[in-house]
Amino acid sequence: MNVWIRSLAILIAAFVAAPMFIVIPMSFSSAASLAFPPPGYTLQNYVNFFSDPNWTQPLTNSLLIGLGTVCMTMLVAVPASFALVRHVFIGRTVFNLLIMLPMIVPTIVMAIGYYIYFGQLRLVQSYLGVILAHSCIALPMSTLILTAALKGFDRSVERAAMNLGASPFTTFRLITFPILRPAFTVAGLFAFIASFDEAVIGLFISGRDKATLPRQMFNAVRQEADPTISAASSFLFLLVLAGVCIWLAPQLVRRRTRLLGQTDGNGAAQPAAATS
Amino acid sequence: MEMFKNASATPLSRRAVLGAGLFGAAMLASPSIRRASAEENALYVNTWGGDWEASVKKFLFEPFTADTGIEIRTVSPISFAKLAAQKTTGVYEFDVTTLGVADVARANGAGLLETLEGHVDTSKLWEGAIYENGLATHGFATQMAYNAAKFPEGLKNWSDFFNVEKFPGNRSLQRHAARVLAIALLADGVPADQLFPYDLDRAFASLDRIKDHVRVWWTAGPQARQILTDGEVDMAGLWDSDAFGAKEASKEPIEIVWDQAVVDKACWIVAKDSPRAENGFKLISHIGQNAEGLAKFCIADQNGPMNPKSFDFIPAEVAARMPTHPEHLARAVMLDGAKLLPQLDELSTRFESWVGI
Amino acid sequence: MKLRTSPVFVEGPMPLIAPAVMFLSLFFLVPLGYVVWMSLSQPVIGLQNFGRLLNSSLFASVLYSTFKTALLVTLLSLLFAYPLAYAAANGSKRFATFLLTVVALSFWTSYLVRTYAWMVILGNQGPVTALLSWLGWDPAPKILFTTFSATLAMTHALIPFMTMSLFAVMKRIDPLYVRAAENLGAHPLRAFVSVYLPLSAPGIVNGCTLVFITCLGFYVMPVLLGSPRDQMIAGIIGDQIEQTLDFGLGSAISIVLLALTLAVYAVYNRFFGLDRLWAGGDR
Repeated sequence: MNVWIRSLAILIAAFVAAPMFIVIPMSFSSAASLAFPPPGYTLQNYVNFFSDPNWTQPLTNSLLIGLGTVCMTMLVAVPASFALVRHVFIGRTVFNLLIMLPMIVPTIVMAIGYYIYFGQLRLVQSYLGVILAHSCIALPMSTLILTAALKGFDRSVERAAMNLGASPFTTFRLITFPILRPAFTVAGLFAFIASFDEAVIGLFISGRDKATLPRQMFNAVRQEADPTISAASSFLFLLVLAGVCIWLAPQLVRRRTRLLGQTDGNGAAQPAAATS
Repeated sequence: MEMFKNASATPLSRRAVLGAGLFGAAMLASPSIRRASAEENALYVNTWGGDWEASVKKFLFEPFTADTGIEIRTVSPISFAKLAAQKTTGVYEFDVTTLGVADVARANGAGLLETLEGHVDTSKLWEGAIYENGLATHGFATQMAYNAAKFPEGLKNWSDFFNVEKFPGNRSLQRHAARVLAIALLADGVPADQLFPYDLDRAFASLDRIKDHVRVWWTAGPQARQILTDGEVDMAGLWDSDAFGAKEASKEPIEIVWDQAVVDKACWIVAKDSPRAENGFKLISHIGQNAEGLAKFCIADQNGPMNPKSFDFIPAEVAARMPTHPEHLARAVMLDGAKLLPQLDELSTRFESWVGI
Repeated sequence: MKLRTSPVFVEGPMPLIAPAVMFLSLFFLVPLGYVVWMSLSQPVIGLQNFGRLLNSSLFASVLYSTFKTALLVTLLSLLFAYPLAYAAANGSKRFATFLLTVVALSFWTSYLVRTYAWMVILGNQGPVTALLSWLGWDPAPKILFTTFSATLAMTHALIPFMTMSLFAVMKRIDPLYVRAAENLGAHPLRAFVSVYLPLSAPGIVNGCTLVFITCLGFYVMPVLLGSPRDQMIAGIIGDQIEQTLDFGLGSAISIVLLALTLAVYAVYNRFFGLDRLWAGGDR
């Protein structure tokens, strides 16, 4: 490839990646302002982030809400994707559109709807309310991932198991689920992150006790000028950085082994990883 | 073979799924359990966050907790809309908050406040302590502060602040109808004694002049302080404590103007139908009788205490910095909640649609 | 033994469809219906909320600036993402992995982290202002809380979406086509314009549609980084919930935003079919 295109791509990649790294030095800043470079360095922001209940509580809440969203989303998305891939039925297109709808409707529109509706159901400021809302948001993407994986699923192994006398449930438990496990994992991960990163609905309906981390960060930026946000940002960014590196490492290793003339050992996991 | 290896792992994952389910159930149940226990001995107070919250915690809340055993948790920032929304949704984020005189009158008119009469022993308080079901504890000023490096000739009053030809630059004001409209009228030359009730058409015409130059409509004190400190704006109308804080922290010279400062009173109120109202009354009584704590809070946050006994604990030179000091008060304008009352709903709707849509 | 042809553990699709239909009806369609109902019934039944919007020149300007910003962000992110996706699709495996890793890093990082990063970078005490004044721009312009800062941050946030959409299509383009054109004597640039670009067009359409729609409803970045005199539509909806408690008006604005979004989808669906939109897209 042309060296100019290569350089241009590297420059753009730098523009994409570089801005986020600034949160790391900022997290050690001793000043309550946005001054960069920081006038002095301290660990105080991290101490606050991990000890101040105004921050630890939202972090815990976001983790719990994320896990709840994964469970709820999977309970709905798994049957739905089986129906979409394996059945032809009247209203299939409408059903598909319904599943995709939460991806179409802007989140802020849903935020005002949930604010009023959950207000009447007394679900504002409850884990359940946020989980239900986040599950709607997460459903389309998780279903897309599952249907994509299901389409590529070789059903002859299921038939073989059933011919050997396995009940449909046993077949699912022993054959279908284990083979599809990577897709389940990715779909669940997407649901978790969709919830963990969701700011708008969380902002309006999570309330005081169940405040999500994005809500706390939003308020820290807008209203309180709380420097703890720098440690929170740095923490989240490093988490992603670590995650991406962990995902990257096996790929590099595999590439190395392939260069040595060996075959690729773990082909099944690759399409799943590629979707992320 | 591969498949059977996978299959042997399923009992474990089934257990994991079961565990996750149980965990989920416990998690969903936990809010009600926690709420039940929290109801007993806790109180949620709406605060401005930042230094304000730190001072109020140290001098007013901690002595209260020490005396009563009631734990105080804070939620910020202060929001009139949230107070109103609480009653509609029935979900209480906070039980107690502070409001300025205009907001407290408006809230009381709308039935958003618990009656303090009969719950708080007024005989132990000073004269005129209770205003519209709120305990008015301290006065604070919204004043002008500007970057003196940028404007060496200096700004004298709000007319200068609104003069975008002579003093070009970015401005910031609070997103608060009652205070901003007073400022707009003062800037247009309305004498302080004829300010109330507001001439709304004149006020908005005056505001139109600076609309394009207001870079941030701030909603919380620390935010105003930070943008002035960092030089995001060249001048701001902000609270005296934040103006002082910005002056201390900024690299650039910040000048503070006391002329035409708009002084408002902070009133502690209990939200109507709040589940922890009793604890709220206890806090308000306690603050009303804690003259020393109020003094210390006012020293730390540069407010003027309304409790006359508090001045026993305040050195004269510190009192001179306070917005309620006679010398400052003579140059300032006191916000008149009573005269504004009939206009309050109209002026805030009109202001919000002027700022937003 | 009877040969079973439907190895799913339940016969027929109904039990599989039911959970999603029930869940989405109760927790998605009903709240959405509430928005429609509120817009028509608060404070009194009628169309007065929409009338207010029609008569408001401020709302018109909000709509205008929302569209303008969304369009600008879409074009800018296409401009940035195209070379990135091209290099990833046509470069060596190692280089492609590197580029996709960078994109993934940005993609997975929370909007609020990125918003905070931009506040530091573009702030008056930040590196960009320092650089500008070092270059002799005095006084350096204030960048934060302007339409520029919001546009820049949104573009940065949406480049990964655009790159994913483009990459998904570009990876399937057979390099032989371009090589054939070049072998027939076409200048590389001409071969690119007349062969590669049209082949990558579906990716461009997909990416632009996704980015444009996301941008129309963007809340966090315009509110935290943008200018109060150039608000976007989502920010105005938020104000109705947080400041004025005018749920009727807020719902009416939401309906307008929803209608605009659906219109964009409808146009896409008319020409390309919705199914293709998400096939290559992500998140």
